[in-house]
Amino acid sequence: MNSAPAQEFLRRAAERAADLTHRQMLRAGMDHYQANFAKGRGRFADWEAARQRCHEIKWEGVNHLDKYLLEFEARVKERGGRVFWAENSEEARNYVVNLAASRGVRRVVKSKSMVTEEIHLSPALEKAGMEVFETDLGEFIVQLRNEPPYHIVMPAMHLTHAQIAKLFHEKLSDVAGDDPVSLVAAARQALRRAFFSAEMGISGANFLVADSGLVAITTNEGNGRLCVSLPRIQVAVTGIEKVIPRLRDLAVLWPTLATAGTGQAITTYNTLVGGPRRPGEPDGPEEFHVILLDNGRSELLADAEQRDVLYCIRCGACLNTCPVFRAIGGHSYGTTYPGPIGSVLAPHLRGPEFAHLSYASSLCGACTDICPVKVDLHHHLLHNRRNAVNAGRGRFGERLGFKLWRWAMAGARRFELVGGVVRATLRALYALGLEGTALDPARAWTRNHAAPAIPRASFRKLWREKNGAR
Amino acid sequence: MAPAENPSRERILERIRTALESAAPRRQPAGPPGARQIFPPVGDVLERFKAECKANLTEVIVTHGSEGSATAIQGVLASLPEGEIYVQDAPEFRSVAQAWPGRELRWSSEGGPREASQAALTLAEGLAAATGSILVSCSTGGRGASVVAPCHIVLARFEQLMPDLEAVLGYAHEKGIAAHNSFVGLITGTSRTADIQRVLVIGAHGPRRVVVVLQAGN
Amino acid sequence: MARRATLFIPCFVDQLGPQIGQDTARVLQRIGWEVEFRPEQTCCGQPAFNSGYWNEAAPVAERLVRVLRSAEVVVCPSGSCTTMVRHFYPELLAGSPVHAEAVELGQRVFELAEFLVKIAQVTDVGAEFPHRVTYHDSCHALRELRLKEEPRELLRHVRGLELVEMGYAEECCGFGGTFSTKFAMISASMGDSKAENIEASGAEYVTAADSSCLLHIEGMLRRRNSRTRTIHIASILAQEAR
Repeated sequence: MNSAPAQEFLRRAAERAADLTHRQMLRAGMDHYQANFAKGRGRFADWEAARQRCHEIKWEGVNHLDKYLLEFEARVKERGGRVFWAENSEEARNYVVNLAASRGVRRVVKSKSMVTEEIHLSPALEKAGMEVFETDLGEFIVQLRNEPPYHIVMPAMHLTHAQIAKLFHEKLSDVAGDDPVSLVAAARQALRRAFFSAEMGISGANFLVADSGLVAITTNEGNGRLCVSLPRIQVAVTGIEKVIPRLRDLAVLWPTLATAGTGQAITTYNTLVGGPRRPGEPDGPEEFHVILLDNGRSELLADAEQRDVLYCIRCGACLNTCPVFRAIGGHSYGTTYPGPIGSVLAPHLRGPEFAHLSYASSLCGACTDICPVKVDLHHHLLHNRRNAVNAGRGRFGERLGFKLWRWAMAGARRFELVGGVVRATLRALYALGLEGTALDPARAWTRNHAAPAIPRASFRKLWREKNGAR
Repeated sequence: MAPAENPSRERILERIRTALESAAPRRQPAGPPGARQIFPPVGDVLERFKAECKANLTEVIVTHGSEGSATAIQGVLASLPEGEIYVQDAPEFRSVAQAWPGRELRWSSEGGPREASQAALTLAEGLAAATGSILVSCSTGGRGASVVAPCHIVLARFEQLMPDLEAVLGYAHEKGIAAHNSFVGLITGTSRTADIQRVLVIGAHGPRRVVVVLQAGN
Repeated sequence: MARRATLFIPCFVDQLGPQIGQDTARVLQRIGWEVEFRPEQTCCGQPAFNSGYWNEAAPVAERLVRVLRSAEVVVCPSGSCTTMVRHFYPELLAGSPVHAEAVELGQRVFELAEFLVKIAQVTDVGAEFPHRVTYHDSCHALRELRLKEEPRELLRHVRGLELVEMGYAEECCGFGGTFSTKFAMISASMGDSKAENIEASGAEYVTAADSSCLLHIEGMLRRRNSRTRTIHIASILAQEAR
């Protein structure tokens, strides 16, 4: 917990946790979600069966990843598309930037993609002289504010509509009013020109369909559809783990993703694209590129205990039920992916100096309960903790403390002795009014809680007194 | 991509293979055995389709015969502002296009829809009753047809109504729709967003009006 | 069916909340069960386990397995400690000589409310507690042991007790073990929300299956100068009806 990211995290999290306005904002957002999710779940005859089925589909895809990726690649190539395998962020970025540069691309329209955030694609394109337009409304908003998305699915959930209205009046022209309808109309107008003039459209992928060589993209706004329809070059950037075996798997994945993501029965636009336009098709891109990104995923694959983390379909449900997320919000984590999934992924994708996120949890398990593909999220936080300790990253004081603890717990007499001494010490200190001071060994607790009453006798002592030695 | 152009490909595949060989896959227990029905029964396909469309704001006009459909389409077009209509170049539409005097038309055989189109008129590959969804593809007017114009009108036939996504996707796969088109899309309702403090706004980048003219008989 | 229950008293109950242990014994005895306590027990190992120190936790866990050997039924007034034994011992002690025994132990350890309703098959323990009470769903009890109705059933049968539901009863109180000290601000924020919900319920008492949660909640309530007090469910059930 000494790493710079850990210190930064503590600072930001403390700030947000004390912010009551922020807490209310997040509470409103999460309540809204919970109500919609409850309705959505009620549309299923058996939601648990849906989760299990999705879990099984992803299990199959991930545990035969090479087979399905190769099948997907072959089908995409049959369609006239190109597939590039990128080992890391840099390779992926370079491919896209070089492609754009070599094709004379000046404008890029993007539909929402967390992977492109992960590889920091937009800054790279902008540095190369291209204009990048985020077309998902939430992403568009945070792009105008020059900040990262707040949430995997709702990038601007931390902003009030008044804040967005002010932003739009500052940055856009022709904003007719402050109401949401006018604001959406202003965004639509601003982006329409971009859609029709951009040479390149970049998307992510919700799923890669192996048996059909199709990239599946889901949106409610239709921005994804425009990104893959109008520009002459289409690029889909995706993690390798997104591949699923069959087209018909989407019959359960699409509704489950929508329900977990927003409580909808199904998202408005579920788009499948593969390859450039064919002869005879009225429109569509001339070029189609899929970038398969590793960036640490194959290592996660090798970890059989945590392999199921790769099942994640990025629905955001775990964020929406997480009381820690609610307390600190999406910008405190300092990682591309916030919330429980982000905390689980961080040491794998970013490195061991992000293990602190796995500790920043009470392990309540709400995330695991809601995950539509049954990732064992909160148990993986425990696994990450164990991994950090086994790698020698536990603080010296803590390691020593637990060695002492182990000694104390190894025998009933010493347990009683140590317990008695601790209690007597605390009783004496608190009687002197020293709770919470530098002398209070429990001050990490008493700093934020009124000190508990310390009993005079332990249970075992009382039992002995009452029942004799046995 | 030739190996020399993409050396990472082999490295990644190798890591994947090694990862999968060296550790056994884990699977969550399935729970009680027996076929678990995920979705509730669809019921009457037409009634369900109408109910779902009502919920997702798709307008449904049931017509009888192609004349009925032509009238319905004409009615919708008449309600729209001046401007170009983008039409899938299909015999069904060629035959009725004369009925729309004064309306500028752009056929899909000329290219994609233009920015200022007021409406797009297409056929469908199929309809899913369980969700009130429309399946489209390049063969039903192309990619832009179902998203560029603020109004999308779909002419579909009763026989195209299928119970659920399982049926529609199975159909798309078996009939080669997925294989023979570079794009297939499932549309469920109108374009929308709730990104502004969760307030639902209809009509973000895609159509704010979707009309299904559902034709019974010829 | 054995009518003898072996108490598994969590280390912090033993040292900081002995009354809960005594109340647990009292309830079991009142419904006709003989109660034994094995003083060799110390801790289930959860503190070290949760912090990632599995090498330190394992021997402590093995010890408990041995201490509880041949105890036919074990009752524990803690959802989290019961969870530790039932759900985490198999993983923690994989490769240990007592692994099979640990797995088997998990089948005969029960949290108190779970034991009363599912094993002893009793919902009315002859208790009286004429107060308005709200129940906090502690996370392990709720999500690992899947206890939701059982504690409420027991409380509904307590004479004079008015059970009210708080908003967001299932939301974590923010204790989480060392989380409460390592990430004190986040923990306090969560605890403050919980305290707010408790106050809004109008309850005089908040109860739960875990005294660790209650310690944290009590600390938060006192900070807010709240009139609501905390009480472990064992202590409510131990209040004998006259």
